[in-house]
Amino acid sequence: MNFREETRDRMAELRALSERAEAGDKEARRKLRLMVRASSAEVVGRASDVGRRAGRVLARSAAGGDPLAEEALCAKLDLMRAEIAGEDPTPLEVLLTERVVSLWMLTTLLEILLAGQYRRDAGDGLKRLSPPYLIQQSRILEGATRRYFAAIRELARVRKLQGERRSR
Amino acid sequence: MQGRPYYYRSVRDGDKVRMVYVGAGEKARVSHEEDVLRRTGRKARLEREKEDLERLEALAAPVLEVSEAGEILARAHLVAAGYHKHKGEYRRARRA
Repeated sequence: MNFREETRDRMAELRALSERAEAGDKEARRKLRLMVRASSAEVVGRASDVGRRAGRVLARSAAGGDPLAEEALCAKLDLMRAEIAGEDPTPLEVLLTERVVSLWMLTTLLEILLAGQYRRDAGDGLKRLSPPYLIQQSRILEGATRRYFAAIRELARVRKLQGERRSR
Repeated sequence: MQGRPYYYRSVRDGDKVRMVYVGAGEKARVSHEEDVLRRTGRKARLEREKEDLERLEALAAPVLEVSEAGEILARAHLVAAGYHKHKGEYRRARRA
């Protein structure tokens, strides 16, 4: 379900060109413009596809074997996608929407799992998990939550700047 | 050489580990077996937890990859369109 080597290489190139262009390299900015135009639809398509499939896998895990819960979560993801992307989204908005939605699903799954571990500690007879395990799981959740908020901010920023460009 | 078996248990006391005499004979044997079972159980639990965490990280990996792709592409689009980051915010570069 992960990215192909080719997509990873293209992203590494985009990152390197962005860095050089931001540092004032005009030639890098020109190349970046060409590359964004030439490859972004393909990269966006692949990344969105990976995000969509990852969302479904996470929904299955969060549902814990209950097909109705899995279906409800997948429907919720579709609803979120439609609501966040809005009408006629640009390819970049589609990817940023997929990013928000899949990170929402990841944080939700991690919260469900962590809450389950704490309930174990509440004394219902199940064996307690070790503190290092709980700390590591909390760290994964913390990282995912940070990325989730960053993804929302990024989408809002891109929309604001795209709006500014359109109104020029 | 045929004496009764005896058993000492290691007990952590702050930074130090002390050996505490548990007993001899049947008591030594039972205590030793209990300790072996406890250690084996703990080792198995830690193994299980490690596998759980690895599974969780594998589940999260594609989402984190998508997240990184979004970050890279958003930045590439904005920089290509003439924006640059200033104190954490994107601004349009001034034209000379």
